[in-house]
Amino acid sequence: MLAEIGFVDIQIGQPYDTFGEARGEKMARLFAVYGYTFLASKPGSL
Amino acid sequence: MNTELPVDPVALREEVKSKYRDVARNPNGEHHFHTGRPLARRLGYDPALVDSMPDAAVESFAGVANPFSLRALEPGEKVVDAGSGGGFDCFVAAHQVGPQGKVVGVDMLPEMLEKSRTSAKLMGLKQVEFREGLLEQIPVQDGWADVVISNGVINLCADKKQTFSELWRVLRPGGKLQFGDIANGKPVPADALRDIDLWTG
Repeated sequence: MLAEIGFVDIQIGQPYDTFGEARGEKMARLFAVYGYTFLASKPGSL
Repeated sequence: MNTELPVDPVALREEVKSKYRDVARNPNGEHHFHTGRPLARRLGYDPALVDSMPDAAVESFAGVANPFSLRALEPGEKVVDAGSGGGFDCFVAAHQVGPQGKVVGVDMLPEMLEKSRTSAKLMGLKQVEFREGLLEQIPVQDGWADVVISNGVINLCADKKQTFSELWRVLRPGGKLQFGDIANGKPVPADALRDIDLWTG
């Protein structure tokens, strides 16, 4: 969706085990849910 | 209800408000996710910076990743935090952009706004401001921001295309979007996508 909106140079970082040892861990494991950092740019310059 | 979306955006918003109102008032309560200093440690935030903040500035932090891990902010940058919660990421951003920068945190919950404003005042961060608003209608003018950050909030918005369009609108040409959010590695069944409880819990 980022690219669809127009963002470019999209990067995705390594996964974080965000829900590990939390009460939501079971549900997170069920759908392999992890946290990620995303970086993208809006084209152009000032 | 918007029939093109898996859930009613208004109903989802009310559910999210209820959940995060509890995080504001009772940050150390029984939530399905980690909060506060243990979460900041888990996500790799600078321990010295986190240790320097008062408890109230950190305890309601409920992000899912670290928006600063792929790119640190530069001094003087103007930043919007979309869904600023208790303000933790705004305070990290304020440290990185310095006194010549500007950080605007946007959140829909009065309880979180009150908490974040109190913490900013306590820390003397004059470059940080908090505004009430929705991610689908961010109260920031077109092209104002050098950087938009967010952490664990976009997944709670039913209309993601509208949300990303707003993030795009407030960014200047050449601006950066750096955010943390969750993604699932296994497909979620269609009936589960329509279950609001699963969106927030």
